[in-house]
Amino acid sequence: MSSVILRNVNKSYGNLPIVKNLNLEVKDGEFVVLVGPSGCGKSTTLRMVAGLEDITQGEIQIGKRAINDLPPHKRNIAMVFQNYALYPHMSVRENIVFGLKKSGADAETIKQKLADVSEMLKLDDYLDRKPADLSGGQRQRVAMGRALARDADVYLFDEPLSNLDAKLRHHMRTEIARIQHQYNMTAIYVTHDQIEAMTLGDRVVVMRDGIVEQVGTPMEIYLQPTNTFVATFIGSPAMNLIEAEIEGEDLVFDNYRLPAAKIANVDLQDLKSHDTVLVGIRPDFFEDSALSLKRSPSDNLFEFNDIQVELVENLGFDKEIMFKLGGEDAKARLDLRSHVKRQENISMSVDLNRVLLFDTSPQGMLLNAGEV
Amino acid sequence: MSSVLIKNESRLGLKLVAPAVGIIGLLVIYPILFNIYLSFFDVQLNGTKTFVGMENYTDLLGNPRYFHSIGVSVIYLIGTVVGTTVLGLAAAILMNQEFRFRNLARGLILLPYFAPVISVVFGWQFIFDPVNGIYNHVVVDVLHLTDTRENLIGNPDSALFVVILFDIWKHFPIAYLLFLAKLQSVPKDLYEAAAIDGQNAWGRFWHVTLPELRFVIATVVLLRIIWNLNRFEDVYLLAPNVETLPIFTYYQAFAGIVDQGVAAAISVIQLLVLVGLIWLYVRKVLKW
Repeated sequence: MSSVILRNVNKSYGNLPIVKNLNLEVKDGEFVVLVGPSGCGKSTTLRMVAGLEDITQGEIQIGKRAINDLPPHKRNIAMVFQNYALYPHMSVRENIVFGLKKSGADAETIKQKLADVSEMLKLDDYLDRKPADLSGGQRQRVAMGRALARDADVYLFDEPLSNLDAKLRHHMRTEIARIQHQYNMTAIYVTHDQIEAMTLGDRVVVMRDGIVEQVGTPMEIYLQPTNTFVATFIGSPAMNLIEAEIEGEDLVFDNYRLPAAKIANVDLQDLKSHDTVLVGIRPDFFEDSALSLKRSPSDNLFEFNDIQVELVENLGFDKEIMFKLGGEDAKARLDLRSHVKRQENISMSVDLNRVLLFDTSPQGMLLNAGEV
Repeated sequence: MSSVLIKNESRLGLKLVAPAVGIIGLLVIYPILFNIYLSFFDVQLNGTKTFVGMENYTDLLGNPRYFHSIGVSVIYLIGTVVGTTVLGLAAAILMNQEFRFRNLARGLILLPYFAPVISVVFGWQFIFDPVNGIYNHVVVDVLHLTDTRENLIGNPDSALFVVILFDIWKHFPIAYLLFLAKLQSVPKDLYEAAAIDGQNAWGRFWHVTLPELRFVIATVVLLRIIWNLNRFEDVYLLAPNVETLPIFTYYQAFAGIVDQGVAAAISVIQLLVLVGLIWLYVRKVLKW
């Protein structure tokens, strides 16, 4: 295993920049997830590490080696492709050991690795089949096996689960997490699925338009997104952002006055330099006041009274309700004990320690400082 | 479906294929059967036929010219099939790379295949003309590789190689076209996966390109064998002294001492070989 360092990495096609001045250090044994919408440059970044794309500018290092000018076959990396890219004329067994053989492993090691990998990924029964005779999930496992069998410095995953159905995707996600911990491998994982990013990454890199918006642990990204893009991209349903006027020390929208002083880590002096701010509340942080759950005197709650429920979506354990806040559509996620109904007026409470404030600039920068 | 409908359907089907079956019967089946029939007779030009049993076949198997023509045909087949396949593959791989004017180049490569045989044959004869040809000019006068001007087409031994070269040049574009079509459909990520698995360019060709092309290569090889086993016009027009099997058959049937019975016997044997090859093709290549 090795660390991976990207230093001022740029990639452009002609005059079109794809990745802009990217800096990232993936530590030895760390699992880093690159996440972002389509076209944000995450796959391109991964492919530059793999050597499948040229680096326009900057440097990439694996371990102590600068690898800019090394072709992919000399980089000692392993990769799982989105469409698996299994060799169609080779059996599952041959696919798995193909790279291992090339790397010069002796027969005993190859046999051992094959046995390990096929047991771990439950491929024992398919070893003599061709990829064409496998289901999508099985092919995905073979692609994983082919990468894991290698003794690579770094493992790259390019949206490996995006072609699987929801159930299988969840299963494989857990498998990958388990394997990563077991092998303690250095891995870079690209996905547009924020759940994969949250659950798999030791650290998550959120990208947009070729720029890194935020790097942090999943919980940092979730609780302390540096701007409104990260705030709304991570978390589902997306964070509610409500525009509020600043009147004295209150944040005012609809009939509500949120006391800014009770919101965590907000510099009141700084706040007063703004006319309006965006109040960010995750749907998960609303509670049905009728249930009065988990309340203790120390809780720093704010009541939203007279909320008219426009729609209720029952998801089993959760229910998502839709309503209006500050004139915009808003969502809350309540648990199954709540009995709210469509068209009903209800009260919901929010822990003010969980409320985030963003400025109204195009970037929408976070105004809360420090740990939340 | 009711039985009436099925009956009507099959009746319509019969009507639809009848014209094709009729034409094939007249132009292919009848000549083949008549040919087999003829091969057991001594046929005179005035049309009189005398039944001779297996005599045509025994004559043929005792004729050294027959075996010589088989030998020439085998060399011709190996040379042309290997040549067109290798050159076609090389051209296809080259034309699958990105470069300026690629589309133009892709089109130009097809030209020899489009050109009428008769016109390019004259061009080739002129190239190898011992007095005025550019080949002798370059070899003797420019490069001084040898002092004597050779008549490559006049000498049957060297003419065989000219004929092979001509066929490769004329027919590699069809192999190229088939290979290129398949190459374009090879998923790019297979090459990427192989690169990541440690394969350099040669390894990627060996482990990805060739296996992906396997069935196309098999198809090309078999088609070329079938075509060139019967190839007449290219060889006869360029160098009639190169006696491949079809040329030998022609001489037996229509030139010198005309012996249509023996010619028919040669054709029957050749037909059996061809049927064997087609059987192989259908069983092993088309049924993959």
